[in-house]
Amino acid sequence: MNLLTLRSVTKRYTATDPPAVDGVSFECAQGEIVALIGGSGSGKTTLLRVIAGLEIPDTGEVVLNGTTLNSPTRFVPPEKRDCGLVFQDYALFPNKTVSQNISFGKGSTDDPARIGELMEMADISGLEQRYPHEISGGQQQRVALVRALATRPSLLLLDEPLSHLDPELRDSVRTELLKLFRETDTTALFVSHDIEDAMVMADRMVVLRKGTAEQVGTQLEIYDRPANPHVARLFGKTNFIPLGLLPDAPHSFADETGDGQVVPVRPHQWQLVENSNDGSTAFTGKVVSTTNRGAHQEVLLQTENLTLTIHLPGNTTVKPGETLTVSCDLTV
Amino acid sequence: MAASLVNNAQHRLRRLAREFRFRLNGWTVAAVLLGLFLFLPMAEVLWHITSPAENWEHLRDTVLGRYLKGSAILVVGTAGLSLLLGVSTAWLVACCEFPGRRFFEWALILPLAIPTYIAAFAYFDLLDRLTPLLIWVRTNISPEAMTWLSDMMVYPVTTVVLAAVLYPYVYLVARAAFSRQGSRFAEAAQTLGHGPQSVFWYVALPLARPAIISGLALVIMETLNDYGAVKHFGVPTFTTGIFRTWVSMGDLPGALRLAACLMVLILFLLLLEKWLRFGAKFHKTSPSDRPFQRYPLGQAKAGLALLCCLVPLVIGFALPLSRLAYWASLTAGKVLDATFLKLTLNSIGVATATGLATVMIALFLAFTARYFGSQAAGATNRLAILGYAVPGAVIAMGVLLVAGQVTQATGWILTGSLAVLVLCYVIRFLAVAWQPIDAGMERNCAQLNQASKTLGATPARSLFHVNVPLLRNALVAGGLFVFVDTMKELPLTLILRPAEFETLSTKTYDLVFQSQIPESSVPALCIILVSLLPVIWLNRQMRAPEQ
Repeated sequence: MNLLTLRSVTKRYTATDPPAVDGVSFECAQGEIVALIGGSGSGKTTLLRVIAGLEIPDTGEVVLNGTTLNSPTRFVPPEKRDCGLVFQDYALFPNKTVSQNISFGKGSTDDPARIGELMEMADISGLEQRYPHEISGGQQQRVALVRALATRPSLLLLDEPLSHLDPELRDSVRTELLKLFRETDTTALFVSHDIEDAMVMADRMVVLRKGTAEQVGTQLEIYDRPANPHVARLFGKTNFIPLGLLPDAPHSFADETGDGQVVPVRPHQWQLVENSNDGSTAFTGKVVSTTNRGAHQEVLLQTENLTLTIHLPGNTTVKPGETLTVSCDLTV
Repeated sequence: MAASLVNNAQHRLRRLAREFRFRLNGWTVAAVLLGLFLFLPMAEVLWHITSPAENWEHLRDTVLGRYLKGSAILVVGTAGLSLLLGVSTAWLVACCEFPGRRFFEWALILPLAIPTYIAAFAYFDLLDRLTPLLIWVRTNISPEAMTWLSDMMVYPVTTVVLAAVLYPYVYLVARAAFSRQGSRFAEAAQTLGHGPQSVFWYVALPLARPAIISGLALVIMETLNDYGAVKHFGVPTFTTGIFRTWVSMGDLPGALRLAACLMVLILFLLLLEKWLRFGAKFHKTSPSDRPFQRYPLGQAKAGLALLCCLVPLVIGFALPLSRLAYWASLTAGKVLDATFLKLTLNSIGVATATGLATVMIALFLAFTARYFGSQAAGATNRLAILGYAVPGAVIAMGVLLVAGQVTQATGWILTGSLAVLVLCYVIRFLAVAWQPIDAGMERNCAQLNQASKTLGATPARSLFHVNVPLLRNALVAGGLFVFVDTMKELPLTLILRPAEFETLSTKTYDLVFQSQIPESSVPALCIILVSLLPVIWLNRQMRAPEQ
């Protein structure tokens, strides 16, 4: 059974601007970790705040654990909702110690042993008497996390949990978070603008753009069968080849102008072809530029009417002006 | 255009409907009702703009024009002079370097501690000093010219006295605005070939405009509120007119219509302020990392700057204070007795009660509107704090009206009780406490309140465990300012004080109008000394962003 269900949730802040969230529906199962992913202004944070009860949507329904939280006739205030929220900049009470922060939530003091366990797991034991300004940013985040988990919410919401971390820390924090979610059997919904976070941490993701959900699915589904050029580009550079040139392609979608179908081909799916007469899927063109990217070379190839981005092995030597023939293998 | 207006209205209506459906609770209902209740006296006065008054036509044809003219001349003169004094000294202190600058930086605020009526009493003989001039005019020009001149002379005299103690409102905000601008814009202008003068006119001044206008608005409100000074110098203004019509002529309906006219004028001024401050959003400057590189002044210019700062300080503070101190030294023995102790305690007691009540009400109103995101409570908050712009005499009339209606309906007699007096002060000074609390809440508590909600805390728990501890400074400051404002207040106290109830301010006033001006200096000095406390505090606060 679904833990969380959203049905066509719409929220607009002003009369004139387009809605921040526009008819979004998705579900989230018990124990699942779901990422809401999108750029700035995609409505991902608004959606999180609607679920937390901090914003009232204009229309739509939110159901958690069988309880309707939002509907046209119902609004459950945030303090009565069975979900916790970890704020992007943590929102720790500066006038309270770590332990006072953690025990602030409703029902958090019912089971002192659990708080000890959570603090142990989050590696913040021993900081109980410190004030938020006396501990590091990473520790603050874990305090915020434990504070939210201490109320035993059915659903944990996280707003950009990794945005404040530098790249080296990111990887280890992702792993730690995942471990903590699994150990506490937490269902989590987190917002991120970073596709890598979503790829590593989430079981499923919801891709948002301009307030609408463009695609909902597992990473593989979305990576392999993106719903449109925007979703395809989320995972990095993508070539859009007209379907007519690759008639056997397993997946295609309408291009941005809506004029025709295109096939997404990723740069690494190209390879050099020695014999240019080898089948109909070969493309021949002139090298415009090459950029060394360490493990691979990024080559811009200008064919008759397409500019292709191609990744070739790092040891290949190609020079601008050379003529190359490439074909694509959509199975890799 | 029309379509977007309709669209907007629909959107607002939908939001309000949503609020009524989902966010109506005990807190918001109580806050809305309390806000409306505090606004009621002002609404009652406004309502009387059309109510019948027997002598209204007579009043309108004879005195309304005079009061309007008197108030207008006084407002324009005082505002203009305060602008000149406040902005020039602020620019010198914030952006130029000259001997004594650091002293003037704080000293220029001191006149704020002197209420307008006390300044007027300290200069009580200013007009008399001009008598030789009048005599000269009568003998050498004509008696008519003398009459005209003596009528007109009250304006510059009153204007100078009022501006000398009110200019710090402009000085404070302008100085803060100038030093907040930092060096970036000035440096950009300098690299583009602009000297100090054009930096001032084209960069610093336009950037500081919204702040300066807000300070100027306070000067105007205080000018309109003044009763003691204009009465003393004999300027025909709305406040003196209301008192005269009501007390001397016994014409309550007429006085009410006058008060209503004044309310309309004030609402117009408030709208004007809002309109003039339009664009304030775009003028927010981010705190620059480097402070302003002050322009060093040459010897001649430094001397001039010194003089510029010295004149308002002497006229607005040093001279009146030393005069009062001198008189006090002569009369203290006579004035200081058990009665004086009693009225000092009266002042302190009423001011303390008002400070506490105002802070609690302001905290409740601001918290409820912000915590529940309530549009309705937000709107009634704005109505309730309007009292800061309304002269005390007008509020007092409104409260008397409401009290009269209560008496009619229930038989309870409320007028003449301390509770009504305190309620009146609360209405008059609510904004003084509400503003810092509301701003502090927006700055420090907005997100923490959301965190508190998602952690399942009740509103009361959020209020007392999160907001109150974090707003301690704002609460103390708000209470302190209200305390002092109450100590200084005169017109409202004169109207609503219970029989036989004297405070420091009414005692000062009574003594002056019993021609015991030297004796009045003792209570006046007490008021000034107490008023210095928040002035010092304010100065430290306003300087903080510079460090």
